[in-house]
Amino acid sequence: MNTSYVYDTPFHLHPDRVGVADPPLRALARRVQGHTPIDPFGLDPQLADIAGSLLRRTVRVQAVGMQHIPESGPAVLVMNRGFGIFEPTALAVALMNETGRRVRVVGAPTLFGLGTTLRRFGSIAASPADVVAALSAGHLVVVPLSPNWWTAGAGTPPLELMQSVMTSAVLPVWVRPNGPLGLATSWRVTIGPEVVNDTSIAPGDPLGAAELSEAVRTAVDNLR
Amino acid sequence: MRVLVTGMGGELGTKVAQLLEARPEVVDIVGCDFVPPRRRLRRAEFRRIDPRNREKLRDFVLDFAPTHVAHFGVYEPASRLSPAQAAKRTELASMVALSAAARAGALEYVVVRSGLEIYGPRRNRASVPDESVPLAPGTPYGMSLLKVEGAAAGVGRRHDIAIGALRYAPVVGSHVPSPLGRLLRLPAVPVSAFGDPPFSLVHPDDACAAMVAALLRKADGPVNVVGAGAASPWQAARLGGRLPLPLIPPLWGAASQVVEFMGAAIAPHIVELLRYGRTASCARCAEVLGVSPVLSTQEVLRELYEWAEVVPIASVREAVA
Repeated sequence: MNTSYVYDTPFHLHPDRVGVADPPLRALARRVQGHTPIDPFGLDPQLADIAGSLLRRTVRVQAVGMQHIPESGPAVLVMNRGFGIFEPTALAVALMNETGRRVRVVGAPTLFGLGTTLRRFGSIAASPADVVAALSAGHLVVVPLSPNWWTAGAGTPPLELMQSVMTSAVLPVWVRPNGPLGLATSWRVTIGPEVVNDTSIAPGDPLGAAELSEAVRTAVDNLR
Repeated sequence: MRVLVTGMGGELGTKVAQLLEARPEVVDIVGCDFVPPRRRLRRAEFRRIDPRNREKLRDFVLDFAPTHVAHFGVYEPASRLSPAQAAKRTELASMVALSAAARAGALEYVVVRSGLEIYGPRRNRASVPDESVPLAPGTPYGMSLLKVEGAAAGVGRRHDIAIGALRYAPVVGSHVPSPLGRLLRLPAVPVSAFGDPPFSLVHPDDACAAMVAALLRKADGPVNVVGAGAASPWQAARLGGRLPLPLIPPLWGAASQVVEFMGAAIAPHIVELLRYGRTASCARCAEVLGVSPVLSTQEVLRELYEWAEVVPIASVREAVA
């Protein structure tokens, strides 16, 4: 895709690019001065940079296939999920380390307070409208499959969301623990090539979305 | 093009009339409102008509027989009118002006001012809605916008013409009578104690440019017009050096009364914005209108706060003495 995306970057805080975390006193001063805007999805780039800096020091990730991630512009990353937030976190750290880009993880919970908090770090609602809006804004959107144990293979893609991403680049991702005896002390993130979608199918077509879902699920499974 | 601008006395209506005056393809520009235009108009003709005077408004529109209508006769509650007055005038201006324009026989296109309030409170299902999201307004102003869009759509169906609806983010600027702008400039700004949701703004110049583009292109269907980025109530208050005042839900009613006493009436759609946020996807704007808002939400906020404070004349005299 040749479209160039213009991002609003007030106070040098980028909604798509990871920045250098402010030292604690400067971070506090900026917050008091109101120099810490959030984006329309609720992401707080300053908080996300601080959390990202901590995660990059503590979460060890081995990344494979990062050449498939676009340098800029939108893409959908469909990933397996077992423990809930651990896999998306490992993928976010891998992308921060290798590409410097932020991710928007689909599935902000409705639970009071928790949803707002997770949105500050890049979570978005599991809503087709929000997924389309995030892609239109040029972000990397992570769509987790239904929870499944690593040894049981990839889970099921959310059909309603797959209908809304049929015109975007869809990449399969497999994340698994890489520590001794399969412990989650470190992670391995494998990103596969783009799943080729049948362009003759009209966007939003339910049957076309089901075929894309199956192709993506198979592609994720093949990365195990 | 023979353009009728309803609500020409408002900031947006006057500015759109000025922009249309510079377009050679626009032959005649005529407008009406219950207040006079806010700037000098060179070519446009203005008639002072209160929408409550139905016969006068109907005859005026029928006589002019517009080909295009820019419907700015949509009045935001607590902007210059009380919520009840705003709803009444909006309904009358929409029904009478649009039906008369259609009956005059030359109508080709109508574009109405609408707003993001029409989507209702920011819900988990669609917090950044595009134009296809089902409408579920949760405030009287949102309902009013829904009625206006519905009336315009009815005209479009009956007369087989294109109908546009520009769903603006809150229009805030130094010269616009905006309830949100007034609230943010108070020394203390009420904010939600349990959340800090994002909201987007649009600058009046961008709102007017979008309206002119819609008229010239006959943009069909709804289009969100939203400045890039977002702000949150806490951040916006701090950016202007104001004190955020956290409120729990039962206190919003009392806070509204206090804030109104301080000179900035707070309508239900403003409370909804402060509690649930208000943003939308602007992707269709560039595609359909060929223009996008130039100023981001943060730039609109900065302009609002850089606007000079009111200086009492007595103080100035004393300073000179």
